[in-house]
Amino acid sequence: MEIDLFNTFQDDAGKKGIVFYYSGGLSQNVIATMGDILKQRLDNNDAKGSVTKKLFSSFIEMVQNALHYSPLVPDSSFEKIGAVAVGKRDEHFYIICGNLVDKKYVSRITEKIELVNSMTRDEVKLAYRTQLKNENHNADEVSKGAGLGFLTLARDSISAIEYSFKDVPGYEHEYSELHLKTIF
Amino acid sequence: MTSLAIAGTLHRHGWCYSSGTHMTDLYIARTADTPEIDFKFALNQLNITGEAFPEDANSFFYPVLVGLEAYLKNIDNQDVEFNFNLTYFNSASTKMLFNIFELLNDSACSSNRVTLNWHYDEDDDTIKEFGDDVNEDFPAIDYHPVVTYLA
Repeated sequence: MEIDLFNTFQDDAGKKGIVFYYSGGLSQNVIATMGDILKQRLDNNDAKGSVTKKLFSSFIEMVQNALHYSPLVPDSSFEKIGAVAVGKRDEHFYIICGNLVDKKYVSRITEKIELVNSMTRDEVKLAYRTQLKNENHNADEVSKGAGLGFLTLARDSISAIEYSFKDVPGYEHEYSELHLKTIF
Repeated sequence: MTSLAIAGTLHRHGWCYSSGTHMTDLYIARTADTPEIDFKFALNQLNITGEAFPEDANSFFYPVLVGLEAYLKNIDNQDVEFNFNLTYFNSASTKMLFNIFELLNDSACSSNRVTLNWHYDEDDDTIKEFGDDVNEDFPAIDYHPVVTYLA
C-alpha cells in the first residue's frame, strides 16, 4: 500500500467512526490482546463505563464464537480467520464481526438468532437463566460453550442482532461467510 | 524463621479441619484471560479476582471445582468466606461459576455457613444482576453485595 493510500484509508476509517478494526488470523492470544486494546480505545472515546462493559462482553462473545465455530481455512496455512470492527454512529457504538461457518450450520444459526430476536428483554433474561441451569446442554454436540452466546448478545445490546450470510467464491457448497452486527 | 513458618502452617491445618485431613491450598495466578484463584482452604477463605474468558472454560474451571468439592466435603460446622472480585466473565465461564455457587449452596444447606461477598462496580449492571440471580437461586448462601471500584 502506498503511503498516501494508507493515509486515505486511515482518514476514511476515522471519518466513518471506526474505533477498532482487525482482519486476519484468530487465536485466543489475538482475542486477549484485542480486548485490551479495545478497552483503551473506548476509554479514549469517552464511552460510558456501563456501555464499555456491555460492548466488551459482546465483543469477546462474538470473536470467541468466530474462533470456536469457524472452519480451518483450506488454502492458506489452515488457520482460523475472521474480521471485526467496532465503530460509533449517531451516539451508539456497534460491533460487526465476520467469519466463515460450515454451510450445514446456516439454518441452525439462523433459527437461534431469529428466536433470540423474537424475545422481549424479560424473555431474554428468563431464557438466559433457564439455559444456565440446563444440565442437558452437554448433549448438544455442536455447541462448545454453555449455549448462552446469542442470549448474551441480546442481553448486552439495545436492538435486534443483525445478520447475513454470503457465499464464499469457490466454496459455495462448503462455507458461508457470516456477518453479525450488534448495537450498544 | 523457616521452622516457625512451617509450624504455623501445620498449626492452622490442625485446627481448621475437624476430620484432620490435610488439604493443600489452591492457587492459580492471573493471566490476560483467566482470573486469580486464591483458595486458602486452611483459613476457609476463597478468593477469585480478575477476568475470565479462557478459550476453554471447562478445562480452566475443572480443577477449581474438583478442589472446592474435596475441600467442602472435608469440613464441618465452619464459616466459609467467598470473595467474588471478577470484573468480566464470558458466557462459558458464567456456567462454571454457577456450578461453584451450587457446590457452596449445597454445603451451606448441610454442614457449613457460607458468606458470599459480591464485589461489583456500580457501572456494572450485568454483574450486579447476576449477583441478584445467584442470591435468588442459592438462598442458603449468605449474600453480601458490595459496591466497589475494581480495576
